[in-house]
Amino acid sequence: MANRGLLPPSFGLTGFARRDWTEDHFKEFVKENVEAHCRTPFKDSTWKQLADGIRFVQGTFDDPKAFERLSDTVAELDRDRGTRGNHAFYMSVPPRAFPQVSRQLADCGLAKSTEGAWRRVIIEKPFGHDLASAKELDRVVSEVFDPSSVFRIDHYLGKETVQNMLALRFANAMYEPIWNSNYVDHVQITMAEDIGVAGRAGYYDGIGAARDVIQNHLLQLMALTAMEEPVSFSAADLTAEKTKVLSAVRLPKDLAAHTARGQYAAGWQGSHEVVGYLDEKGIDPASITETYAAIRLDVDTRRWAGVPFYLRTGKRLGKRVTEIAVVFKRAPHLPFESTATKELGKNAIVIRVQPDEGVTMRFGSKVPGGTSMEVRDVSMDFGYGRSFTESSPEAYERLILDVLLGDPPLFPTTREVELSWQILDPIEEFWSTLGQPQPYRSGTWGPEEAVEMLARDGHRWRMP
Amino acid sequence: MIITMQDTETREISAKIDELHEERGEAALGRVLTLLISTNEASLEHDLEVANSASREHPCRVIAIAPSARKVEAGDSAEGEHHTFLDAEVRFGSDAGAGEIIVLRPRGGLVHHADTLVIPLLVPDAPVVAWWPNEAPANLSKDLLGSMARSRITDAMNSSNPMRTMNDLRRNWSSKNVDMSWTRLTVWRAMLASMLDQPPHLPVSSVRVTGPKDFLPMDLLAAWLRLRLNVPVIVEDDPGANAVTGVYLTRADGVLSLERPSTGDGVAMQSVPGQSPQTISVPTRTIEECLSEELGRLYPDEIYAEVVTQGWDLINPQH
Repeated sequence: MANRGLLPPSFGLTGFARRDWTEDHFKEFVKENVEAHCRTPFKDSTWKQLADGIRFVQGTFDDPKAFERLSDTVAELDRDRGTRGNHAFYMSVPPRAFPQVSRQLADCGLAKSTEGAWRRVIIEKPFGHDLASAKELDRVVSEVFDPSSVFRIDHYLGKETVQNMLALRFANAMYEPIWNSNYVDHVQITMAEDIGVAGRAGYYDGIGAARDVIQNHLLQLMALTAMEEPVSFSAADLTAEKTKVLSAVRLPKDLAAHTARGQYAAGWQGSHEVVGYLDEKGIDPASITETYAAIRLDVDTRRWAGVPFYLRTGKRLGKRVTEIAVVFKRAPHLPFESTATKELGKNAIVIRVQPDEGVTMRFGSKVPGGTSMEVRDVSMDFGYGRSFTESSPEAYERLILDVLLGDPPLFPTTREVELSWQILDPIEEFWSTLGQPQPYRSGTWGPEEAVEMLARDGHRWRMP
Repeated sequence: MIITMQDTETREISAKIDELHEERGEAALGRVLTLLISTNEASLEHDLEVANSASREHPCRVIAIAPSARKVEAGDSAEGEHHTFLDAEVRFGSDAGAGEIIVLRPRGGLVHHADTLVIPLLVPDAPVVAWWPNEAPANLSKDLLGSMARSRITDAMNSSNPMRTMNDLRRNWSSKNVDMSWTRLTVWRAMLASMLDQPPHLPVSSVRVTGPKDFLPMDLLAAWLRLRLNVPVIVEDDPGANAVTGVYLTRADGVLSLERPSTGDGVAMQSVPGQSPQTISVPTRTIEECLSEELGRLYPDEIYAEVVTQGWDLINPQH
């Protein structure tokens, strides 16, 4: 960002952590990572300028002295670098530390802005683990910070492809007319990971796939897919539409039939033998936490009546992929012999969020040659990497910039977070009455239960 | 272009392919299917050539799995390590027909988990076709690769024991399976059908088929004729032949015949009572043509199904 001139010259970065580092340690750490991951060539002059504004404060969350040091450091930056009292706090801390950290920031006077300056706070997921805890978290944070200056970061919303969903739908004439229950058969939103819980065991166990991914990422993607056209792309208008959709979501009556959960078992993936979830380090061998979750949701609006939205996510699945697939109904009449269209599937528009960002359209085409008419599915493809050679900015790049500019359209609001929990809570409650999730072999596309769940509605999961 | 990757992972292979696509300005999604080839090192190059040629008609991603024979030097690694590894090759451009080829050479435990090995490499949304160019598993539907495929192609004639392979295939028959020995007959069947299409449409009273002994396509041809015409079919050995040499259909007005005495010149003679014989060019079908034909039709072949489930037993009660 500094290299592109997106950061003001007075930009400073202060690290606060428990580890026993000096400022040079921290600078070295930042430099290493910048060098390893920057998208533009590393320039020494830019780095030097940036490094001048880097500080490090060592301390623990329960130590008021440390926060005083933080306050002093920041004040020094204000004075010497000219940050003028504008501060953004990026809280990469466990949820239980929130109250304490907020309180400490308030006590040392950092939480409230001075005249003409701003204070913003960025918090990462999880935004609670159910509606009650989300409300509690919100209460704690808003006690200290002004609600309009709280930015909940959901890095999926910072991805170009997600924003492109808005362009695809609202800048074009081709899609919006068919983006409704007259033409759409169902929608599948998938976020698959090929890794296991790895280092996140402590956090993950007891939380599970649905709370970890569906509540935030997938419901946000669904809201963007299903929402009406916003009056403008200002934060308030965009949020209004997303909120409308989320509040119109209806859960299936029979949760047993229309949700599925699974837990990865041992298998072979990517050329290695991998252990099952219950054998992972740090996981309770009797854990009933799900690592795969699939749910059906309906949206009670005229646009979406009768169109199921299927959301699925899981770990140790076939490959790492996130995509939104809008699957269309079959043509009402096919003037071909039945053999001609045997291989014809349903038309689909697939928005590939990651990797290989782009959009695919699937439709039928005549197989060339032969004496008979045969129609087969083909793909038409738009790839970001091919149409735009400039590499897309990292999601965080965009989001952090938005925070600095105070531009919140891509950040979920309190209301959206609460609505999401309202959707998920009854499902979690139902799941908690069940026993062990159905195991699935690592490297496959999830448990049999999920296949059956779609088969009940006459559908099939796509193979991403 | 051939890129060799030793001790690799499926994730690295995918990344490599995406990178090459980007570099070359191609879209992987133009591929209409994924062709899985389950083979061995000795037959690999030949199989890939066949697949390349077929891919010109059906751009596909070819994934060939041939268990690795690479020896790990004792000094290379600690004892017991590296029994399991994956070597791979990615072929592009002139080395890969119209698509790309991924050669996987698994070793150790990986050999028994072929499905999760190829899942990350499949073309999204596209049908999967599995092809066993030589030895086929006894039950294709239960095979790890076979169970993923929409269409399963075997070649019993290339297996070490064609008759036994065919019997296995018939015993565990599924509508998704098809054997190349049937595909090799397509031209013969088409010509015979068109002969009988011409008037006068008199009933056929008996049939004689000549060809080499224990020749699968001939048995299938006989079974098809037996089933469709519902008349006795005699299978006659023609010593020295390497393919079906003749089909003779007896009718009230005489014998209709289609003869191809030698595959060398690929010329067949068609005789119909009351007409002078005609020569037609019927070259032996290449394996490329057969594979291409099967890739063009991915739905179940109903006639083949009837032939192997009903017709076969009428011709070969002893099997």
